[in-house]
Amino acid sequence: MSLPPGTRVRARAGDPGHHTRLPRYVRGHTGEIVECTGEWPLPDDGARGLVPPRVEPVYTVRFPAAQLWGEGDHVVTVEAWESYLEEAG
Amino acid sequence: MADAGEGGHGAGKGQSVSRVHDVGGQSGFGPVVRDDDGQPFHADWEARVYALSGALRARGVFTTDEFRDAIERISPQEYLAAGYYERWLAAIEALLDRKGVR
Repeated sequence: MSLPPGTRVRARAGDPGHHTRLPRYVRGHTGEIVECTGEWPLPDDGARGLVPPRVEPVYTVRFPAAQLWGEGDHVVTVEAWESYLEEAG
Repeated sequence: MADAGEGGHGAGKGQSVSRVHDVGGQSGFGPVVRDDDGQPFHADWEARVYALSGALRARGVFTTDEFRDAIERISPQEYLAAGYYERWLAAIEALLDRKGVR
């Protein structure tokens, strides 16, 4: 899967129980792909000593602040490895 | 020092609890206080901890991901009471202990 800009995605909900780079405040929320920033090793694997770690596309994803916190007219962007996301359709 | 073991505190079977470090977007912590004096360190030991971490990563003793994981595994009580480089030191100690480096 390689997600083009504009794709609607939902951030993985719940906590994986190990190191991850997906902040809690976007979990379960739906955002939009801004761009793919290339492919990078998955920190979740690296933190657990898995060799070699999976390498995945990393996306810049934007979320409306009002959706995350109930107020604000700006957007919040995060960097998310592909397995942190699912297509929201 | 604090090592909550595999999976970390509060992340056992059937549980889904974020680690204590993940406070982004939470209210109640007050405004962020910035040190704007331009000094990267405020005691010699802080510089030594910084250098130690860099040297151990450069020598392949642990990775940056493992280091971040170790910081996140510090117990919530200790984590919230500790300063920035105190967390670094606790993480270094936990990793060296776990990897058997003496």
